[in-house]
Amino acid sequence: MFFKSLFFVGIVLLCVFVSVGFAETGEDAVVSALAGAEASVVSAYQGVLEAERAGANVSVLLVRLNEAGGFLSQARMAYKAGDFDGAVDFAELGRGIGEEVAGEARVLRDLATIERVQLLWFTAAASVLAVAWIAFGSFMCWRFFKRRYYRRVLGLKPEVATPDES
Amino acid sequence: MNLDEYRVVFVAGSLVLILIAAAPTLGLIVPFPSGSERFSEFWVLGPGHMAEGYPFNVVVNGSYSVFVGVGNHLGVSAYYLVCVKFRNQSEPLPNATVSEPSPLPSLYEYRAFVVDGGVWEAPLTFSVLKASRNDDSMFVDRLFINDVVFVVNSSARWDSEYKGFYFQLFLELWLYDTALQKFQYHNRFVGIWLNMTA
Repeated sequence: MFFKSLFFVGIVLLCVFVSVGFAETGEDAVVSALAGAEASVVSAYQGVLEAERAGANVSVLLVRLNEAGGFLSQARMAYKAGDFDGAVDFAELGRGIGEEVAGEARVLRDLATIERVQLLWFTAAASVLAVAWIAFGSFMCWRFFKRRYYRRVLGLKPEVATPDES
Repeated sequence: MNLDEYRVVFVAGSLVLILIAAAPTLGLIVPFPSGSERFSEFWVLGPGHMAEGYPFNVVVNGSYSVFVGVGNHLGVSAYYLVCVKFRNQSEPLPNATVSEPSPLPSLYEYRAFVVDGGVWEAPLTFSVLKASRNDDSMFVDRLFINDVVFVVNSSARWDSEYKGFYFQLFLELWLYDTALQKFQYHNRFVGIWLNMTA
C-alpha cells in the first residue's frame, strides 16, 4: 500500500514537472518566434532602404511590410495577453512576409543598380560628347573671333586729331 | 576691350557651358544635400477625419473612435512604432525637454512603414469595459482597444476645477534607428482627454 501511494505521488510529481517544463518551453518558443519575426521584418526594412537608395520604387514593398508590422504588433499583444499560440501564429505570418519582402527588395535593388549604372554610363558619355563639342566649338569660335579682331585692328587707319578739333 | 579681356570672356563662357553639359553626370555622382527640413508629423483626428468631434465624455461600454496618423518627411522610408498609453492626471507624460517617453506601459501598438513624403493612418477604437466610482475617485479597470482587452487599473480623483474624472489616452511616436538597431522615442506624442462620466 505504501509503495502504491509512493508510486502515485511520484507519477503526480512527474506530471507536474513535465507540464511546467512544457509551459516554459512554450513561452520560450513564443519569445523565440517573436525575436525571429522582429529580426525578419527589420532585415526586410533594411533591404528596402538599400533598394530605395539604389533608386528603386519601394512603395509596394512598404505595403507588404505594413502587413508584416501589423502581424508583429498582434503577436506582441497576444503574447502580453498570455495567448501564446496566437502570438506564435502571428509572429510566423510576420516572419514569412518579412522574408518575402527581403527577397523582393534584393531583386529590386539589383535591378535598380543595373539601371543606375546604365544611366550613369549613358549620361557620362553624353556629357563627355557635349563637353568635347563645346570645347571644340569654343576653340573654333575663338579662332574666328581672333582673326576678325586682328583684321579689324589692322584695317584701322591712324587719324591725327588736332587740338582745335577736340 | 583688348584681346586678352575677350579671351577671359570666352574661357569663362566655355567653362559655364561645360559645367551645364556635365551637370547631369555630376548629379548622378555627387549627392547634393536637400535643403528641406526633415521631420515627422503625428496626429489624432476625430471620427469624421477632422480635428473636431473628439470623444470626451465617456461611459462604460460606450464605443469611441479616432484616427491616428503619421507623415514622413525624413528623406527616406521610415519604420515607426506608435504606442498607445493610458494615464490619469497625476501620472507622467513624455518629457519633451529631454526626449524621454512616458514610463507607463504601452497598451496597444501600431507598426507603420511610411515612404518618404507619404502618410499612414489607422483607426483607433476604444471603450471602457469596467469602471467603478468610489466617492471622489473613479477606477478604470479594463480598456478595450481595437478588439483587444487591456487591464489598466487606473484611478482618477474628482477634479473640482474642471468638474470631472479625467483620464488621458495618449500615443507616443517611436522611430526605428538602423544604426542602433532599435526603436528610439521620436519626441512626439498626441493625446485626448476623457472625462469618465459613468
